[in-house]
Amino acid sequence: MIKKNPSANERRSRNIIWNAAGSYDIEPYFLAYFPDGTQDLYLDMIIGLAYKWFDMDRLSDFFSRYEHVRRAEEFDAMLWLGLENCLFEKELPGRPVMRSLRHERGELFFENREGLSRQQMMYQSMPLFTQQEARWADACGRKRPVMSLREKRISERLRFEGSLDTEGVTERMRDFLKEYYRFDPYDVKNTSGTSHPLSFLFRREHKRKDTFLLRAGEIYKGHPKAVSLHHDGLGRFAGISKEDTGYIRDVFGECILPEREMNRFENEVCTGDDAPARIWISKKSPAERPAKKETAEIIGKRLRQKEKNDAYLKEHSMMVRSSIRALKAHMDTALSSFLRPLPEKAKTGALMSSQAYRLPVLNDPRVFLKDGDEIEAGIVADILLDASQSRMHAQESIAAEAYIIASSLVSLGIPVRVMTFRSIRGYTVLEVLKETAEKDCSGVMSYYAGGWNRDSLAIKTAGSYAPQGITGGTTRLMLVLTDANPNDSTPVGRDGLRSSAEYEGIIAVKDTEEAVIELKDKGIRTGAVFHGNPAHLCNAQQIYGNDYVQIRNVNQLARGAGTLLLKLICTE
Amino acid sequence: MGVIDFLKDEGVDESLLEGVREFRDRYPVADENSIRVPDPEYRYYGRRIWELAIAAILAGKNLLLAGPKATGKNVLAENLAALFSRPMWTVSFHINTDAAWLVGTDTYDGNKVVFRAGPIYRCAAEGGFGVLDEINMAKNESLAVLHAALDFRRSIDIPGYDRIALRPETRFIATMNHGYAGTRDLNEALTSRFVVLDMPLMAEDDLVRLIGARYSHVNPKICAQFAKLYGELEKKAESGEISETALDLRGLLDAFALMEQGVSSGDALSMCIIDKTFDSYERGLIRDVIKARIPMDLTRDIVFEK
Repeated sequence: MIKKNPSANERRSRNIIWNAAGSYDIEPYFLAYFPDGTQDLYLDMIIGLAYKWFDMDRLSDFFSRYEHVRRAEEFDAMLWLGLENCLFEKELPGRPVMRSLRHERGELFFENREGLSRQQMMYQSMPLFTQQEARWADACGRKRPVMSLREKRISERLRFEGSLDTEGVTERMRDFLKEYYRFDPYDVKNTSGTSHPLSFLFRREHKRKDTFLLRAGEIYKGHPKAVSLHHDGLGRFAGISKEDTGYIRDVFGECILPEREMNRFENEVCTGDDAPARIWISKKSPAERPAKKETAEIIGKRLRQKEKNDAYLKEHSMMVRSSIRALKAHMDTALSSFLRPLPEKAKTGALMSSQAYRLPVLNDPRVFLKDGDEIEAGIVADILLDASQSRMHAQESIAAEAYIIASSLVSLGIPVRVMTFRSIRGYTVLEVLKETAEKDCSGVMSYYAGGWNRDSLAIKTAGSYAPQGITGGTTRLMLVLTDANPNDSTPVGRDGLRSSAEYEGIIAVKDTEEAVIELKDKGIRTGAVFHGNPAHLCNAQQIYGNDYVQIRNVNQLARGAGTLLLKLICTE
Repeated sequence: MGVIDFLKDEGVDESLLEGVREFRDRYPVADENSIRVPDPEYRYYGRRIWELAIAAILAGKNLLLAGPKATGKNVLAENLAALFSRPMWTVSFHINTDAAWLVGTDTYDGNKVVFRAGPIYRCAAEGGFGVLDEINMAKNESLAVLHAALDFRRSIDIPGYDRIALRPETRFIATMNHGYAGTRDLNEALTSRFVVLDMPLMAEDDLVRLIGARYSHVNPKICAQFAKLYGELEKKAESGEISETALDLRGLLDAFALMEQGVSSGDALSMCIIDKTFDSYERGLIRDVIKARIPMDLTRDIVFEK
């Protein structure tokens, strides 16, 4: 059966097209994949070159004229064979590598063919397969398949010359369909969607193809009989539709990074098992905004949760204040020595007048002061709150814990950023509750739980999305408040492809462990406050090594978090 | 070929070159400093930028070369020092750069406390060109010591020592890249003391000439393909699809050096460009661009003409 939704690296495919087109502002109407979902470098290049050499608006208008008919895919594949020859000839003088790429592509075709079973061969679209075989045999210098006179004529007709312009190729494509399929895309009668009377001859077509040429352009969307190969649901971010994106935008507000920067960001962190997931970074969600019923309900729940959090804080204000004081006192001394660079005696530097006598009297040249090995450093901390469904039962206490830690650090002069993370509809959403520059920590009380948690991606993202004011000498701390049970509905991916493995259990823990190691390698001192089911304590140990503490209630936070923070700060 | 002859070939305005000759005659370089006059390995290509830079130097201004990675900022700075035949002091700025590092510090010479001159001091006293590399890596406050040296006062006042005046031929050329991690914007006080040259990305023809100048026996057709490849990587980085890591002009030139030693084009490009990126997805994108332009199996005999 034809795979209508092959898992593939759509973005990589687009990149090849953009590169060949010489423009990154286009939205390709076609993408080319091999049946296993990997991008077809050569044919993607050909698609890109079509943008370079032709007026693609006109060509896509042509393609759109028959996109509703049953044999649209076969027409596409045949016509792109014609365009391939034309574009190859056009591009070859300026890009000599085209010849070897074409040769390589041809060899891949034959390799693929040899791997087909007898049954698969029976399901081939024979007219198309013969034409492809002939084309790639020529490219590789192989012997052509045995062809009928008609097939030979088709093969010749599909050699569009390199001298043709947009009008020329459009005319050729139209003539070809008229002559060999008795179909005229410009004939209104033919666009009714009825199949050609001779269609029974091609009944077995399209069961399996060498390359999927997928229509991906907006022009096809919404047509009642359009071939359902729209790009939503394909590629690297498979399963994420525009509807999902709209939902995320409604609930969490606009992403704070521009799209281009987000792309760069996703390329950096949505890798390995996290490849199929996407990222959304927003600031405190809009409390009031026109929303659909579904999102309005969620926003209402959030507001109610904030009220509960505030009430909890008020009710336990004594405990909160004493926890803040205790945590502050715990860290104060150690921090002050860490933040102040200690000058050391040296043979050069600023002269210490009180010690100058040592030069002539004791012959001691070390009467100067210079900065010691300990460089001037600042600390910036990130507090990352797991905001998944599993935290539902303890939302008020988690908000209070985050408030205590953030307030203590702020009072020590350490800038703190507080973010929550959760995964919904393929997106891992990081929501900034408190910005680094803010002194007021009350934003933390907007915490609420809901959704899945893809810890590995959240941690990588928080690490890469550096707070403002970071300089070369700044020490970054990352404190994760977690139940160490990563779990997401979007499965894991492998090298940009989706796999059937779910993001849960050992795989998810391993991924999160790697994300933490990655952060530590970058110099971000990462630790966790574990507050959850003791059954997952071993996960915390695997993910964070010795850099975690377990607490069972808010009262234990000051001591636990204080010890952990000191350990993170003082350990190189 | 000397830099002046090179610029003549480039079509740089003759009156500017005449100004350069007068400058060189008026300010001969002292023998002990001649070793500091650079002999650049690469020339900077771009007539307009050359003319603007020469005019600024002749007018007695300090230059700030601002632009993204691989636009030839340091190459131009070095070429300017060579053109004007001035000894060059390069100071690489970092987060902890301070006044003592730039101007000088106290030290003990065995008998007494003496002043050990820093690069800015020496540059000022000996009429050199000071290259302030990645000036925006340092904190603005620590650069305040340069204000008097860079503006009309043209002097450096060293606490506890003398105030020295800059020699008339002294110039400072700063470079900066907005994009690097850890950089910041220069404050108004510092920026106003420079004339700013916004460095353009290298044109394809200029890149061909740059490669050709270094590897004169390179096959011109292949050289042109490499220049196009660089342009394509540049475009991809500009559009945010890949990071600037792959946009490595030095890497591209290094690839030629490796191919000259018999390494295949594929291996050379992997070592010098692709593998400098550590993200596997990004490496895939870069590899696609390279594959779409350069065959991976080019040998030395094909890349270089005998």
